[in-house]
Amino acid sequence: MQEHRALILRSNRFLGSSLVDKGLVSTSALEEANGKFMEAIQSSDLKRASILSTLLFDLKTMEEDKLLDYLVDELKLGLVDLNFMELSSLRPMNVDLSLCWASSTVPFDYVEGTYMLATCYYMSAPVIKYWEELLDGRLIWYGTTISSLSRALERIEEIHETEDAAAEDE
Amino acid sequence: MPFSVLILDDDADFNSLLTDIFEQADYIVTSITDPIEAIEVFGETDYDLVVTDHRMPEMSGAEFMKAIKKDKPEVPVIMVSGYLENDTIRELISEGVGGVFLKPLNIFSLLERTTELIAEAKRVDSCSNGNSEDVGGEDTGAQLGFNFRSYPCKSGASASFAERLYSLRNFKSTLSLIGESGMHYRSICEDIREFYESDAERFIYFSADFFTQEEALSLILKAKQEGAQRVTCVMLELETMDVSQKTLATKLAKNEDAFGDLGLVLRSVFCVSGDLDLLFDEGLIDENLYILMGTAEVRVPPLRECSVDVGVMAQQLVVKIAREKSLASVPRFERSARDLFRQHSWDGNFDELSATVHKILRDNPGDVITYAVAKSVLNASEGASPRTRFESHLSTQQVNYIRAASILLGGDHVKTARFFGTEVALIDARMK
Repeated sequence: MQEHRALILRSNRFLGSSLVDKGLVSTSALEEANGKFMEAIQSSDLKRASILSTLLFDLKTMEEDKLLDYLVDELKLGLVDLNFMELSSLRPMNVDLSLCWASSTVPFDYVEGTYMLATCYYMSAPVIKYWEELLDGRLIWYGTTISSLSRALERIEEIHETEDAAAEDE
Repeated sequence: MPFSVLILDDDADFNSLLTDIFEQADYIVTSITDPIEAIEVFGETDYDLVVTDHRMPEMSGAEFMKAIKKDKPEVPVIMVSGYLENDTIRELISEGVGGVFLKPLNIFSLLERTTELIAEAKRVDSCSNGNSEDVGGEDTGAQLGFNFRSYPCKSGASASFAERLYSLRNFKSTLSLIGESGMHYRSICEDIREFYESDAERFIYFSADFFTQEEALSLILKAKQEGAQRVTCVMLELETMDVSQKTLATKLAKNEDAFGDLGLVLRSVFCVSGDLDLLFDEGLIDENLYILMGTAEVRVPPLRECSVDVGVMAQQLVVKIAREKSLASVPRFERSARDLFRQHSWDGNFDELSATVHKILRDNPGDVITYAVAKSVLNASEGASPRTRFESHLSTQQVNYIRAASILLGGDHVKTARFFGTEVALIDARMK
């Protein structure tokens, strides 16, 4: 995760500003979330370093439903519940799982040169830009909830562990 | 937003008195003693109000008013005179005079009526223009419901900027102003200060030359002793501060350590010139500041996005300099000179504009700043000698190379110095 520190800082900073700009969160709530975010960054607990989850779950100053409504109504984004998706290893795509944790984003399917990506950080321009530059192909974006994404990343982690164990056995 | 007033009185002493009255009330004033010249100037410039004497040798105030109302009937006119019959006053009012004042003047009534007439004219103008769509247009003035002087707000970009600042005026702990080099951050922050009517509100300014913990604490405590309940610390040119000053700025913004329990509300305004992400990559803005500055961030519009404002800002500078130099009259820009200023790119923003106006006035241009004078000063600034231009170009390129290397080396100045085979101090100096 440490190698993604700059991306984490940048994507969270942009997300916070966007949420305030769009009136989804107040400046004072963001100030408080920023404080907690920096504590997580400085304690090197980068998996916990998310302004969005701080706003939603720690401070409870924002409702995830409202964010999803905004993504659908204003940004015309489709939503996906990853709990109902069949997930596979990220290794064939050359994608590092820690990057997915750092950017709250996961490519969950690849069909004929098109990547399907689910993200909680669609309103953070650096996240979108980073993935667009990383993946060679067309990208279709979906919004998702934090719990859906976290569970999906844990499932992929298990898939990777199974792959590693199989490789060791061989 | 400062309004502009044309004053016509053939009596130079009284003209000067009126000019002082209106300038001290923060109007932009053009003072003229000759009615013919005043008609010509009125045709070339957008004034918000005209104040004229009634009895003048070449033509009466009533005749002057008729002449200018033919061109722009919407501009209100106030008449001043030593003596007038009641019938004449009634006649003048029926002809469209917005107010008649007899000498000796009641200054307060005069200024009060001025405010009323301008507000009334703007309301009518706004209604006839289909109201609030103006703010987005480049060529229209925006009517703000608050005072704002650092930009005249006659362009969409500056009006939006002023409104955004006003909407954020009650920011809790930090506000960031991010713009290009040469911005007039201090004036902008003085405008923010003017948003509050309370005397218990205090702004303190710090820069790389003046920002230690002792200095900061001393000024904050002094403000508290003087009755301040909330102190806003403005960090000018934050990117040029050294590491310890940036750490101090973070502590101050977070109300930590020595700034933790001072018994008053402390806030910070960070002013930064440059691209914040680049500055972060270069290591000139650390992680803490980078995140802190994202809470309430406002982009300061460069002058090239506010071309309509530039003419007014230039005239404001002329008034200020004329006052400092105690000039007998305040020079005014010829329309073509003002248009030239509007078209100029002003890459150095307000600092460049200010330096240009200073240069023009240094050479005593007379009462009118002509196109030729403005052009020659702009050319002199741009042109210089070929050698100077090349030196400047190479110097910029050198700084760009150093910045690029610094970013690629993680903002580490020691590594950057080693890469170029030079001293760290030189890299530090160039990066500033």
